[in-house]
Amino acid sequence: MKQLHYGLAAAAVALALAAVADPDTASRLVEALGGTRKPPVPADRLLDLAARHATLAITSVAVASILGVTLGVFVTRSAGAALRPLVDTLVAALQAIPPIVVVALAFPALGFGSAPTVLALVFYCVMPVLRGTIAGIEAVPGEARQAARAMGFTRWQLIWSIEVPLALPLISEAVRVALVLAVATAAIGALAGAATLGTPIITGLQNQNELHILQGAAATAALAFLAEAAWLLGLCLVERQPVEA
Amino acid sequence: MTEAPGAVASERRLDRLPSLSGDAVARGLKAVLTAIAIWALVGMGWLSIAPNRLLPGEALPATAVLGGWAHASALALLLIVGAGFRRDAGEAARAARFALLLGLLIGLLILTGIAAGRSLEGEPPSARCMVGAGFFTMVGAIVLLLLDEARGVRPTLVAAIVLCGVVALAIAKRSGAFEGLSIMVEYRARSDLFRAALLRHVALSVSALAIALLVSIPLGWLAFRHPRFRAGVNALLSGIQVVPAVALFGLLVSLLSFALAAWSSLRGLGLAAIGPTPALIGVAAYLMLPLTRGVATGLAAADPAVIETARGMGMTDRRIAWEVRLPLGLPVFVSGLRVAAVQSIGLTTLGGLIGAGGFGALVFEGMAQFAPDLIILGSLPIVAMAILADLALRAFELRVARPLS
Repeated sequence: MKQLHYGLAAAAVALALAAVADPDTASRLVEALGGTRKPPVPADRLLDLAARHATLAITSVAVASILGVTLGVFVTRSAGAALRPLVDTLVAALQAIPPIVVVALAFPALGFGSAPTVLALVFYCVMPVLRGTIAGIEAVPGEARQAARAMGFTRWQLIWSIEVPLALPLISEAVRVALVLAVATAAIGALAGAATLGTPIITGLQNQNELHILQGAAATAALAFLAEAAWLLGLCLVERQPVEA
Repeated sequence: MTEAPGAVASERRLDRLPSLSGDAVARGLKAVLTAIAIWALVGMGWLSIAPNRLLPGEALPATAVLGGWAHASALALLLIVGAGFRRDAGEAARAARFALLLGLLIGLLILTGIAAGRSLEGEPPSARCMVGAGFFTMVGAIVLLLLDEARGVRPTLVAAIVLCGVVALAIAKRSGAFEGLSIMVEYRARSDLFRAALLRHVALSVSALAIALLVSIPLGWLAFRHPRFRAGVNALLSGIQVVPAVALFGLLVSLLSFALAAWSSLRGLGLAAIGPTPALIGVAAYLMLPLTRGVATGLAAADPAVIETARGMGMTDRRIAWEVRLPLGLPVFVSGLRVAAVQSIGLTTLGGLIGAGGFGALVFEGMAQFAPDLIILGSLPIVAMAILADLALRAFELRVARPLS
């Protein structure tokens, strides 16, 4: 019930922010604040950029989730436990590096476009997913594990039919946080030539056009809230289905 | 956890039976990392000589640049890792291997610097000698091996060995071992700018953290006292997080310029529409979420039974807050402070876009010129500061948490 309420509230905020990003509203807002009249970013261009922005963020979070869950499952095995401190240190270091620095450093090697941004977002999002996976798997009761073993489950069956499903709520929460972070952060990709909602922000900064900055900012925030709303409402739908006996 | 000893034993046996042992996995990782480092030494581009600082150069392998030293280093690496491969012989052996690996890494750095200086002889002054992919791969692989070797060695011992390494590097730098590398050339050309950027970056990130703390401590206190207020604060501060930082900075520049046009007396306070003012406000705005959360959850961290006991002893609310809640909640608060400090260093980078200076200015200039060395020169100190802040506050977090457990 709480999820439904939060989801609907996020959707409402997304809608309001999208309205602010709309060329007419944004123009009027800037003029009311004392800005001069300037040509806004047209709505269809904004929608196109939003689609690219979303693709970039979703791709990165998908890669980060696969990596994070795989690593999380691995370091909770007895074979992987020895590597847990190393993985922890490494992933924490990756997250401590500011995404803009990853973009800048990858830029000469990977060139103009979305590749440096995807790399930066993957680095940034692995840690939350890894943490969620480890916390989820560690919370699986030992009885459940023992029962599964007693029933003759293989190692893979234990992972995929017992541990991961039981850890799923925490993993899903972590992926949601990562997705919202990725959507908000993907805007910096514009500095390395990725077409995102950061593009009007950067051109606005260069040409002192606060209207473009406002539209880019409002559209990015709208997309982040939309991602949150879609995730929460999607969960409500999935969870409503009856569990097989 | 109260389990029958038999159950625990059987679980352990079941777990071990079908799976690889942890040792085998750790050994496999070591072997892979060693193979990667050796491949980087003999098979990848190590140094490249470019006609100037913007054009890419021709990459040469380490075997061509360092000569016999490349083979010797590969052999040394093999011997060091091989010595600890079969058996894990205690802390002293690990520490020795750690020191040897670090020595090898530093030796390779110095050799590469000298080789770069030598290969520039006879080239025009605009020529640059850049380190290539092989060099970075080798450094990465050896750092991972070092991290693995550092497990089970006392942190103070690790720190002492690393300190010796840093001193060795500093001596090598003083004697001019690295002068031939393109990044040092870039640094020499901008050493004043670099120093100014360092001062500005540190000043901006520390002041933003201080401003955010000043706001967040009362805000966190209020959020802890009034649950209704907490929901509002949380929604507002989370909302700020989804606004891209570049956009917030840009909007602050516009808003400040409108405000300064309307109330020109504000200029007398030293406020300006571009530069440090919008950067400080913008960075502080993002730091408020982790800090406020840290304060509010830290205050709530104490067990209600402990609070009841304190109240039963006749302590006032104020004394409970200072003498019970504060010490018990300190680890949570420090954890929030750590997140905020790391973010502060990273976000300050973006201040370079709005004229606030700092290392961001170097990075963005490098990106605009497509000059890799300038980008690296600006980025490495940011990465170093962020990781150091993270490590230092993590250590502090453990220290304040220890008396509880």
